[in-house]
Amino acid sequence: MRNEEMNPDSHPSERDLIMAADGELPARGYAQVHAHLAACLGCRARMAEIEGTIADFARAHCQTLDPQLPPIDGPRALLRAQLSELASKPQAGSWPSLFHFHFTSVGSAAVVAVVTVLIAVMLSGVFLRRSAVRGTHSVAGAFDRGAVPDRSLTPGATRRVTISDVCSMPHEEVVGEVSAALRQKVFREYGIVDAHAGDYEIDYLIAPGLGGVEEIHNLWPEPYTSPTWNAHVKDALEEHLHQMVCSGKLDLATAQRDIATDWIAAYKKYFRTDRPLALRSGLI
Amino acid sequence: MPPADAINRLLFRTVTDASLSQKPSEIEREVMSLFEQFRNPLLRYALSFGVPVHDAEEIVQEVFLSLFRHLQLRKSRKNLRGWIFRVAHNLALKQRHSNQKQCDHTADDWGIAENQSDPSPNPEEQLSLAQRRRRLLNVVEALPDADQGCLRLRAEGLRYREIASVLGISLGAVSISLTRSLARLIRADGNGG
Repeated sequence: MRNEEMNPDSHPSERDLIMAADGELPARGYAQVHAHLAACLGCRARMAEIEGTIADFARAHCQTLDPQLPPIDGPRALLRAQLSELASKPQAGSWPSLFHFHFTSVGSAAVVAVVTVLIAVMLSGVFLRRSAVRGTHSVAGAFDRGAVPDRSLTPGATRRVTISDVCSMPHEEVVGEVSAALRQKVFREYGIVDAHAGDYEIDYLIAPGLGGVEEIHNLWPEPYTSPTWNAHVKDALEEHLHQMVCSGKLDLATAQRDIATDWIAAYKKYFRTDRPLALRSGLI
Repeated sequence: MPPADAINRLLFRTVTDASLSQKPSEIEREVMSLFEQFRNPLLRYALSFGVPVHDAEEIVQEVFLSLFRHLQLRKSRKNLRGWIFRVAHNLALKQRHSNQKQCDHTADDWGIAENQSDPSPNPEEQLSLAQRRRRLLNVVEALPDADQGCLRLRAEGLRYREIASVLGISLGAVSISLTRSLARLIRADGNGG
């Protein structure tokens, strides 16, 4: 049937019927099978049986495995965070293309030497700057341990919401209390065995007011005790982002993404400051 | 202003300016859109190898990170659905190999799922449907790996050329495999009444 003509008197093979049922026969073969089916009761019954079995198996396959599928929210947020991190890194293999040329003369070799020196100078500047940034962050990290969640445990998770869902209530009314069982689970996940009630807030990475969900991938134990970047500071950022989203100054997806990727960087970006405003004004 | 503060201000301004320009790229958006479309089919396919749910979830994440790198390097966009399933297939095989013990749990998992019946039919119909489903799945589990792969990919809606590309076999082999497997399913169904 696939390459040869079908004898009008012969019945199509099982394989031809299956391929016809799956829409995999070429147009001419498909027309021949259907012409035959119109005239042959026996083959119509065979075809119905094949189609029924294909549909039944597809249904059985899905019905058997679907109950095991976890909600998509956590994995979606994790993938988004990982892609964002991947996108911020330089592409592997991009450097060699810059040097993909040949020495043809002393002149070009001299140009290469000058360019190499320039690049070395630029790179050393970048390296020194990055070292300084790393140094600054590591000092901050020593004081603000736990201020930023472990992204492998808490990548953030959201539900499908519209702007009107998010903005129909004031931010503080959207935030609910995390259940005791879930709080314990989060502490266990982070290896905290002797937590005092007043030391940590089990905080949402993406706040419910921004579409975040009460789910373990979106919760982490945020210390109240960090001197700089603590739970109070993050609350202020959440409130600010909620206002920006609801006043149309910021789209919801960007707010979710920024707070999930690095809430401290988001604070600096949206408050246009390098340290918490309350700290600057002596409030904390 | 003390020099240290001036340096910090400069550094933090750099960080802030960089983060201001941080928007999802076209490729990130495309990958997220494909994730929405194929996450469940891929997860089902990975689970059908008998790997635990958390491993299957990691496989799916890895597939889309690989897809991002693939698109970032401007590699072929031809038959992307086949490409995605092929990567999942290879990772699932590798995972199954590395935790071979988990493989034995497949039958149990399917047994658990079997008990979760559709609430709409009456109890007799439910029992009959569950028995039929069990019969079909028993036949599939007894098939060679390649035949099971063809059937499951077909159940996820892949075309024959996509199935061929995932499993690394010819188009003809796909149609022969499906014909053989469906004949067995039909026979089993007939025997079971």
